[in-house]
Amino acid sequence: MEKIKFVIDGKEVEAIKDRCVLDVARENGIYIPNLCYNPEVKSSGGSCRLCLVEAHQAGRMRLVTACNYPIREGLEIKTDTSLVKRIRKGIIELLLARVPDSDVIRELAANDGIDEPRFVKDEGENYHNKCIACGLCMQVCEEVVGVSAIAMLNRGPDKIPGTPYKKPSEVCIGCGACAYVCPTDAIPMEDNRDTRKIWGREFKMHLCSVCGKPYMPEAQIDWIVKTTGKDRVFFDKCPDCR
Amino acid sequence: MEHTKISTIEGLNKYREKILESEKNELPTVFVCGGTPCLAKGSRQVFEAFKKEFGAQGLSGSVELGIKTTGCQGFCNQGPLVTFADKDIVYMGVKPEHVPEITEKTVKKGEVIASLGYRDPQTKEWATEYSRIPFYGHQKKLVLKDVGQLDPARIDDYIAGGGYSALVKAFGMSPDAIIDNIEQSGLRGRGGGGFPTGRKWRSCKAIKTDVRYVICNGDEGDPGAFMDRSIMEGNPHAIIEGMIIGAYAVGSNKGYAYIRDEYPLAIENMKTAIEDARGLGLLGKDILGSNFDFDIKISRGGGAFVCGESSALMRSIGGNVGEPRAKYIRSVEKGLYDKPTVLNNVETWANVPLIITGGVQGYRKVGTKGSPGTKVFSLAGKVVNTGLVEVPMGITLRELVFDIGGGIPKGKKFKAVQTGGPSGGCIPESLLDLQIDFDSLSDAGSMMGSGGIIVMDEETCMVDLAKYFITFLVGESCGKCTPCREGLRRMLDILTGITEGRGKQGDIELLEELCDCLKWGALCALGTSAANPVLSTIRYFRDEYEAHIKEKRCPAGVCKELITYRIDEEKCTGCTVCAKKCPQKCISGEKKRPHTIDASKCIKCGVCRAVCPFDAVIVE
Repeated sequence: MEKIKFVIDGKEVEAIKDRCVLDVARENGIYIPNLCYNPEVKSSGGSCRLCLVEAHQAGRMRLVTACNYPIREGLEIKTDTSLVKRIRKGIIELLLARVPDSDVIRELAANDGIDEPRFVKDEGENYHNKCIACGLCMQVCEEVVGVSAIAMLNRGPDKIPGTPYKKPSEVCIGCGACAYVCPTDAIPMEDNRDTRKIWGREFKMHLCSVCGKPYMPEAQIDWIVKTTGKDRVFFDKCPDCR
Repeated sequence: MEHTKISTIEGLNKYREKILESEKNELPTVFVCGGTPCLAKGSRQVFEAFKKEFGAQGLSGSVELGIKTTGCQGFCNQGPLVTFADKDIVYMGVKPEHVPEITEKTVKKGEVIASLGYRDPQTKEWATEYSRIPFYGHQKKLVLKDVGQLDPARIDDYIAGGGYSALVKAFGMSPDAIIDNIEQSGLRGRGGGGFPTGRKWRSCKAIKTDVRYVICNGDEGDPGAFMDRSIMEGNPHAIIEGMIIGAYAVGSNKGYAYIRDEYPLAIENMKTAIEDARGLGLLGKDILGSNFDFDIKISRGGGAFVCGESSALMRSIGGNVGEPRAKYIRSVEKGLYDKPTVLNNVETWANVPLIITGGVQGYRKVGTKGSPGTKVFSLAGKVVNTGLVEVPMGITLRELVFDIGGGIPKGKKFKAVQTGGPSGGCIPESLLDLQIDFDSLSDAGSMMGSGGIIVMDEETCMVDLAKYFITFLVGESCGKCTPCREGLRRMLDILTGITEGRGKQGDIELLEELCDCLKWGALCALGTSAANPVLSTIRYFRDEYEAHIKEKRCPAGVCKELITYRIDEEKCTGCTVCAKKCPQKCISGEKKRPHTIDASKCIKCGVCRAVCPFDAVIVE
């Protein structure tokens, strides 16, 4: 792992070459707003555009997304310039008009001094239920869970995550990873004692043989057993009782 | 000729000699244009009529050699076009009934039929020679030289004209020397970006890897653009030869031609060409005994505009959704299947054999210092001569629109010209003397783009035009990044409001803010350039936006909510044509007396204005 030096907000920092700006900034206590990036999901990032920063390199400046911009020797990053703030504010206003009910977006907007968007808020047919269409749910399902139960449907303004043909997915294991990683909490997941409802399907929950708590859908256990070859007995008890 | 594998360079030369020998024809070969526009105008029937006539007359030489369908000959609105091998004659608007006369006079005796030529609208004089037809006379055909002069489905035609000799020359050079040549030629990507081709090849070659790819981008998606289609349809071997040379130079054994599925003839001709080249051993293993292997596969695009963007295109070839990725690591490093990839546009590839054959100095003789060579444009819109043209870089827009294009029809006034498709911008009359090259156009707020040129006259509303392009882009945005997905539809809302009379103070500024957000914040080049149609129309036609917003008036008389139709009593003769044609039956009046329009029923369709012989219908 080659280590290189680069400058972020005037401070010289040492980091491993090709790591992304956002991760290194975080470790150095520099906050850059972001939504669609999750370090555990390699294919994530680059779509919400909130983490735009100025990258100065080889006499050239451009705005890049910190979540996937690789660190190289001689790079200078500025996270707080007037250009960065102006463009980010524009993007947040667009998101606020799209999902006016999202607390996460409202807070980000408030931080940049926006209470109300200047555009007509999406509602009725256009209601997006807090979803900013960043695609992280699809990416985690495909890359981390490995089942690809959801995809981004349609394109352009109609782009939205969903199951194929918006019908309950046969391959979904009800793990809820999509709902956990969603940056705006936009995926409804309803947990009752014995069942979990998500993406239009109801999953039977497995109850811990010791404490009796529901802790995982049966379908998810089936999937893990199938893909890892682990003994099913292992899943009788919940992690707390093992 | 029989297609057996040619395994040496001498073999190819001998093969060429054999074609030339066997195809000696006493009578000049007739070329019937088989480009898409001419086909639509009935050139297939003309071709069949020639075949029948030749057969009936028992003309010497086989029918196959005597009559050929070619690719686009350029002057599309005058089609079907007919030309003759080695003769300076071009016939226009040819119909099957003209065929016996053409055969008798021109084919057999070499006589010219003037009335089948081009008639100058001003002088009313007929011309059949290329040089005397302004549309052709001002062009410089290099890339398109053979398009229209050979049968694209016959590899022998291409070889007979010297085809694949650039490849032979390239095989005698080192890969680095080829790249040096391409770099020194100054060739820049013809797909729009204008990136130096040689530099791209060099960066790709420099990466250590087991596999490299070369790709031909034939996903021409701009409305009104048909340059790449015409080359793929009309001279596919030039592209293939360019790709083999490029692959040899960078060290790639596998190429892809990505062609949009809406181009069936281009796909068919490329497919035939690839199979024929493979049959002769020009593709495949150990090409011409060079020890170099290379083959090309056609990948058909599904019709998404965004797939013309290189990273989206590569994802699409790989079987994924066509969405761009951040190109912080360039595709020459990590492209198709994460392997180093050279992607060039159709026209760029077709330039490669020209550079190798003619040499760097020869190539640089045409064009400007920063943009050498020629550029193919498709000329469309409110211009007299529409079609496919190739001009040296550096000619002015005025020459393109007025000398080649013949100016604006019906004596209307020129207003603007849109270059570069939806990502381009509008250039007003004051900048008509601008040189056409990559840098001048982007300085003016537009871009070269792939080469679509749409001319607009005084009856084009610039706000409506911006709305048209943004509507297109909203439909074609992939939706991956926020500024493009959300920003464009907000822009469309505002533009729609302005054209429907709901524009308000601050709309222009808000549009500019959104453009700024897209320009800096969008993920791919389609997003960052999507603001251009709005920004350039605001920049050059701000008064028109203001007229819509402040006075609720559309100066060009286009935006239906802001105009009314009225009949000028002085000019109206009461001929009743308008009243008969009005679909709403809302025009009334006595015969031979001025008529009136009932504004409450009028749907502003414009039929009355179009049919009035006296220009008595006024739009306000």
